[in-house]
Amino acid sequence: RLEEVPLEVLRQRESKWLDMLNNWDKWMAKKHKKIRLRCQKGIPPSLRGRAWQYLSGSKVKLEQNMGKFDELDLLTGDPKWLDVIERDLHRQFPFHEMFVSRGGHGYVELLCVQPSAAMDGLGTVSSMGPSSALIRCRGLAALAWHWRLIPGLGYSLGYSSLSLQEAIQLDGQILFSLLHKVSPVAYKHLSKQKIDPILYMTEWFMCAFSRTLPWSSVLRVWDMFFCEGVKIIFRVGLVLLKHTLGSSDKLKSCQGQYETMERLRSLSPKIMQEAFLVQEV
Amino acid sequence: MGSAEEDYNFVFKVVLIGDSGVGKTNLLSRFTRNEFNHDSRTTIGVEFSTRTILVGDAMVKAQIWDTAGLERYRAITSAYYRGAVGALVVFDITKHQTYDVVDRWLKELYDHAEASIVVMLVGNKTDLAQAREVPMEEAKMFADNKGLLFVETSALDSTNVEEAFKTILKEIFYKVQKQKQRSSQSNTVSLASESPASTAPAQAERRPCCVAL
Repeated sequence: RLEEVPLEVLRQRESKWLDMLNNWDKWMAKKHKKIRLRCQKGIPPSLRGRAWQYLSGSKVKLEQNMGKFDELDLLTGDPKWLDVIERDLHRQFPFHEMFVSRGGHGYVELLCVQPSAAMDGLGTVSSMGPSSALIRCRGLAALAWHWRLIPGLGYSLGYSSLSLQEAIQLDGQILFSLLHKVSPVAYKHLSKQKIDPILYMTEWFMCAFSRTLPWSSVLRVWDMFFCEGVKIIFRVGLVLLKHTLGSSDKLKSCQGQYETMERLRSLSPKIMQEAFLVQEV
Repeated sequence: MGSAEEDYNFVFKVVLIGDSGVGKTNLLSRFTRNEFNHDSRTTIGVEFSTRTILVGDAMVKAQIWDTAGLERYRAITSAYYRGAVGALVVFDITKHQTYDVVDRWLKELYDHAEASIVVMLVGNKTDLAQAREVPMEEAKMFADNKGLLFVETSALDSTNVEEAFKTILKEIFYKVQKQKQRSSQSNTVSLASESPASTAPAQAERRPCCVAL
């Protein structure tokens, strides 16, 4: 269920955001807290694309790298990557019009960008899969995610020496040890069942929850994620775990490993609802 | 509790492996839900589903695990294979390259799973026989040499999907039975062949509450 923002509030927010975007450097330097607060409240849909570009820094990168995209676009991709992408791409967002037909608008652009990025040493680009497609859908320039969002999302920031596999395992361990503090009950249960974090958090983290949460919640989470970074992903994960496995009552119906996995697979809509989730994060 | 689905004597964990796009997820959904999706999205992480069937005189709950075929979507190795008693190694009969890498999948499987795991080679997409690139005889021979079960299936038109899963579950069941006999001969009191030390695989779990069938 969508959270209804009253029209006047929305208009007010829009004008606040316009003011921020027009004086971005000043706001970032002096009132970052305020920006963060406004991201938590949700960026108005009409300005979301632009705001994400500013927040992620992709706008700056874009300007610094004028023409780089065209340059990369001219290169031929590594056949190995091209094949993987070709096989995979139309399946990422099967129902999105941009990807319905091979050779469709979004399809061609992604196909152009992905291999060049891969060649560029950003091998993890393809790991973004649905997330990068999501960004494309929001109308950001291809370069935006190419240059800034991928490192932010795609496990190369801070983990540049690790493979994607190692990075996700490390994140899994971090998430799990945080859970120890946040919800000892859930922690104990998962330990007892010997459920490796990667069994449930791989999709959460690799897709930044775009496959897990309802769409309206994905947008809200991403609003905060672009502002505050990867810790938001951890926090969302912790909220979901805590509210799914965090009390002995909740655990009654998931005594086995498989039952627990199933529970984490089909999360209660209540805890994924944007108002509840954002407030808990 | 109490529903037919919940009454079972054994739980067998079976994993699906193989290259991206060979149809693992659709084999899973065809067998457990009788569904097929033309545009199923790439699997990231793991998916799973169960179905309980009668094998011999026992109700067997098959827990089928499915994972990403694409290297970059899988952080999963040992955790995925842990406790698995069966594996379907799937390739696409219309794409030779998915068959060429079967050896690599087998290696990963044997590196992480119990040695006694029952393995079946599955050539999927027989509905596209006109585009076949892998001759059935070739795959069959390969499977025989490696001591694997073999079947060709079509998740799309359902051909052999039931048979494939039932065959492997039956095979696992017999293995468990044999093991049970062995362990009773060696004077083990209980049926708790659940996880008899590290030598034998965790073939079956038995929930006390479900014994009364």
